[in-house]
Amino acid sequence: MSETCMMVLIVLDLALLGISMVNTGILIVGLQGALLGAFVIAVNAPALSPRLFVIACAGIAIKGFLFPLLLRRTIKEANIQRDMNPFVGASLSLLIGILMLASALWLGAELPLTGVIRAPFTVPASFMTMFTGLFLIIARKKALTQCLGYIVFENGIYAFGVAAVGEIPSLVELGLLLDAFVAVFVMGIAIYRINQEFDHMDADELRSLKG
Amino acid sequence: MDNTHPLLLTCLLCVPAIAAGLAAVTARSLRAAAFITAAGIGGGSALGLAAAVEAGKHGTISALGSWLYVDALSAFNLAVMIIVYIMSTVFAFVYFKEEARAGAFSLKQARQFAALWCGSFTSMTLVLVSNNLGIMWVGIEATTLLTAFLICIHSSRHSLEAMWKYLLICSVGVAFAFMGTLLAAASSRHVAGFDIHQALLWTRLRDHAAMLNPALIKAAFIFLVVGYGTKAGLAPMHNWLPDAHSQAPAPVSALFSGFMLNAALYCIMRYIPIVEAATGHAGWALTLLAALGVFSIGIGAAFIVFQQDIKRLLAYCSVEHIGIIALGLGLGGIGVFAALFHTLNHSLCKSLSFFAAGRLGQRYGTHDIRLLHGATRNSRLWGTALFVSLLALMGVAPFALFMSEFRILKAAVDAHAFVLLALFLCGVSVVFVGMLSKAIPLMWGESTVSVAAPDIHTRLEAGLVVIPLAALLALGCWMPGFLGTALTQASDIIRTGAALPPH
Repeated sequence: MSETCMMVLIVLDLALLGISMVNTGILIVGLQGALLGAFVIAVNAPALSPRLFVIACAGIAIKGFLFPLLLRRTIKEANIQRDMNPFVGASLSLLIGILMLASALWLGAELPLTGVIRAPFTVPASFMTMFTGLFLIIARKKALTQCLGYIVFENGIYAFGVAAVGEIPSLVELGLLLDAFVAVFVMGIAIYRINQEFDHMDADELRSLKG
Repeated sequence: MDNTHPLLLTCLLCVPAIAAGLAAVTARSLRAAAFITAAGIGGGSALGLAAAVEAGKHGTISALGSWLYVDALSAFNLAVMIIVYIMSTVFAFVYFKEEARAGAFSLKQARQFAALWCGSFTSMTLVLVSNNLGIMWVGIEATTLLTAFLICIHSSRHSLEAMWKYLLICSVGVAFAFMGTLLAAASSRHVAGFDIHQALLWTRLRDHAAMLNPALIKAAFIFLVVGYGTKAGLAPMHNWLPDAHSQAPAPVSALFSGFMLNAALYCIMRYIPIVEAATGHAGWALTLLAALGVFSIGIGAAFIVFQQDIKRLLAYCSVEHIGIIALGLGLGGIGVFAALFHTLNHSLCKSLSFFAAGRLGQRYGTHDIRLLHGATRNSRLWGTALFVSLLALMGVAPFALFMSEFRILKAAVDAHAFVLLALFLCGVSVVFVGMLSKAIPLMWGESTVSVAAPDIHTRLEAGLVVIPLAALLALGCWMPGFLGTALTQASDIIRTGAALPPH
């Protein structure tokens, strides 16, 4: 079950690299969030405590539903165009995605994590997700897509954390979720304000400060 | 033995947080916003100092089942933070009073500022008093989120651009640090009898440091240095820093440079003893830090030479000084003591120079150094303050920054790190020449802009200039006994992880 989750995570990463509409991107990121909640349950399935179940559900609610909601609202209020407007086109992005997957697999084999990781295939999948997030931040022009990239990057770290550390205290876990939520919220407001001031939100236009 | 002070430490976190909430909801006038800020920061500072004194007396204090923990290292940083906050808050009153007089500071902005200012006090305190490394990370991330909108209190294209860069680069950077935190926790999984629920407690990791998986803890430290280093402004992760520092209002720039960078560096300091013990005291972590430090000094020096904007110049100067602190930490031995001493000196001096740059900016309507020529004649107090603080920042004796840099030099000689020594000397020489060439015209240059406003200043402003300069001068000539003890205890924690027994 947890292996399937990780396979789907990688497929969603590749899908994110190939799409051209922001709305589809938001949908995929939401799916990833919900998937990670399911992953928490799958990894801990043999001895699932109510506490973990609640945290997994909170994760699904925030990452799977609240984030997409916030981002869609930002799009609507800031009246943002729907295309991704990439620096790097879809086919080249996918090609780079394959390379990222290869290096993620290599990293997974290299890192001395045997005995630490509780679910197979998590390390490459989480690194692939982190790479995808970073790539989206660098290679897409829109501030909103960069925000999506940030969420994907965090998703990758989250997947790694679930498999490598497992039970971390609820307070820390809730702090993390809250931080991620506030980060997306703050980025939403920031995008709105940038859009008001500049009448666009292409981050590559934000380049007057130099040196 | 730990001493528990649950009330003190919880109040320390709650008072400024409540003030932040009150300011956001109830402030109906500029005066009310100012009052709430003063009460929140004043109350928080008093409690923080009390906690630092208690920690000094007993060695360590803790609360809430060791989740909150103050030892000599956190106490020292707490004290520096409080000094910077008090100075910057007083300056904020002076600065925004002028803005309000010019009609550029509305109630909405005041409310936003007061709430975020008190909120950032809480989050930085949380970083310093958390024993749980996960919560410490939460505190740093919260600092980013709370201070982002402080940059664009005055909404303009440039300030929004700076805010977005800051928000994105620091969020992603700090996410790297979270990966590092997870790897550090994972490195303890095989340790027998190690409760996974306590894997993130610093004291637990320190006690079991020798048994951690060295390869994993090394990987963790790389992520941590990249992550927290981004927030601390270590090159090459410093790109957000000059923009944010130059576009933020002066009190915010002062806080950023004066303490926010230190808070991120503090997180790295916490991991040094753990990583060193886990890797058999081979100096692996220290080498990494020293290399990044020297690189930052070089980058700072290279960019200082070409700066025409005084606030950007000061920002690159921060990159350089954070580099010096990292180098001191990396050299080990007396270098750690000197690095901590340098954080205090740099915070005092950099806050003052940002105050001066901000006030001159208000007077001249620009931060272009070429237009500020002759500033000491035009605005005697703030012009002189900028000139003297620039001298202190470039390392002129007998200011305290010279003394701490000299000790780092000595540490490099002691450690036979002659390559680092040469690079360090090259860097500070370039900075010296670069900054001196910008500073001299401030004093003796012909002013090209005529400023009509009369050169008057209040006693409060004079105090803001005189007190830090006098302190820097005094610390340069003489180190008070209590400061020496505090620095020794704090540096012992970084070097060995152990807190000294109470005395």
